[in-house]
Amino acid sequence: MKFLSYKAYLVLGLLLVVSVSAQELQKEKLQGMIDATLDVIYSQTHASLSANEKQAQVREKIESSYDLDVMIRYAIGKNWRRMNEQEQLEVLELVKQLVLKAYVTGLEGKDRPSVTFGELTEIGKARIEIESTMVLDMKTYYILYRLRQMDSGWQIYDIVAENVSMSSNYRGQIDDHFRKGSGADLIARLKDLLAKDEINEDTKI
Amino acid sequence: MKTQKFKRPLAWACLIGLLSVTNLTAQDGKLTEDEAFFYEEFDESAGVYDPFESVNRFIFKYNDYVFSNTLQPLVDTYTAITPDTVEEGASNFFNNLRYPVRLASNLLQGRFKGAWIETGRFAINSTVGIVGILTPADDYESLAPIESEDVGQVFGAWGIGEGPYLVLPFFGPSNLRDLAGLFGDRAINPIKEPFSMIDDWEWEWQFATFSADYISRSPQIIERYKQLKGSSIDPYSSLKNGYTQYRRGAVSE
Repeated sequence: MKFLSYKAYLVLGLLLVVSVSAQELQKEKLQGMIDATLDVIYSQTHASLSANEKQAQVREKIESSYDLDVMIRYAIGKNWRRMNEQEQLEVLELVKQLVLKAYVTGLEGKDRPSVTFGELTEIGKARIEIESTMVLDMKTYYILYRLRQMDSGWQIYDIVAENVSMSSNYRGQIDDHFRKGSGADLIARLKDLLAKDEINEDTKI
Repeated sequence: MKTQKFKRPLAWACLIGLLSVTNLTAQDGKLTEDEAFFYEEFDESAGVYDPFESVNRFIFKYNDYVFSNTLQPLVDTYTAITPDTVEEGASNFFNNLRYPVRLASNLLQGRFKGAWIETGRFAINSTVGIVGILTPADDYESLAPIESEDVGQVFGAWGIGEGPYLVLPFFGPSNLRDLAGLFGDRAINPIKEPFSMIDDWEWEWQFATFSADYISRSPQIIERYKQLKGSSIDPYSSLKNGYTQYRRGAVSE
């Protein structure tokens, strides 16, 4: 029985090690994804691509590692139930496009940021946080990636930059929208935003 | 011996059974947990009190108009004609002048290490760094820049509530506590009224100093604002939420 207990402990220990290594792998996977998206924006081989093409390629790189729907669904929260199935699908797609557009246009024209990954912390049941530091235009930004183990594997559900949670920020906006507006209004607003080349076009008093 | 032979496979079966059951339960739980996860509430956004939303939205639009049509062209010109080193020097100079605010805010929160670092940086940057234009203090690991503290944060650390969310003309997002903090910052700042240490200071010079300080800080502010606005469904709501999260984080740190 003593021998058996020893083996049982060994099995449990191995399972623990496998679980820890699996989490550590997430850090490498995340780093790989970030590098791949930055390559699309900055490498010479992609220099001839249009903004839309870059956004499409960045999306491809992200989606080959993570399910973007998870972060957007998390940001929409309970408002999801206020939309019909068609609206839900359309909102998912449009928010995805808006976020990708902001990511690519926000970095274009600047020097390639250097990103360093720090500690990985377990923050609860099937949830981890990965710290990172981004140096862009001589300024340092602290960015935290939050991941959760879903049925589809580890997925990013939130990005916290300088204490501001992206999912929480979108949740606040979408909550505010649904206080007065509908799913159809949200779709119209998103389409309107995506159609604009310049973000300041609608500045009127 | 017989008993042991019998016990061993039984124990293994129990262990394997236990692991399978745990796994099945987890798998089974995850199916429903995934969906529940999407509906969970956020701690960070636990409400922003905004009773003056209609007035705030109007001032937000006004600020947005001023930012886009006056400040943005001014900043574009400023960044175009000013070499990066001069731009950085101007930003450093005005940042160095705000040292008394940071010192007082650190002390009032009992952050003596922060007060020490700020003092060390001020001493080195004001002398070796030629009145704060350069930042040679960065070369000392023990004097690495720290998060800037202000009187609004002091009030937060003392447990004073945020009060209603406000949008101030030209200054942008705030709340009642930070507005009071803004007055506190001005009172501590030796070059700003009402307690300016400079006697007989003509208003033209005061205005020029204020404008230079404002413009030297604007490129960063405009950049962040543009980023936020570019990815927002509702820029007003996004700024309100972003500002509140940022300040809550700064206070809790």
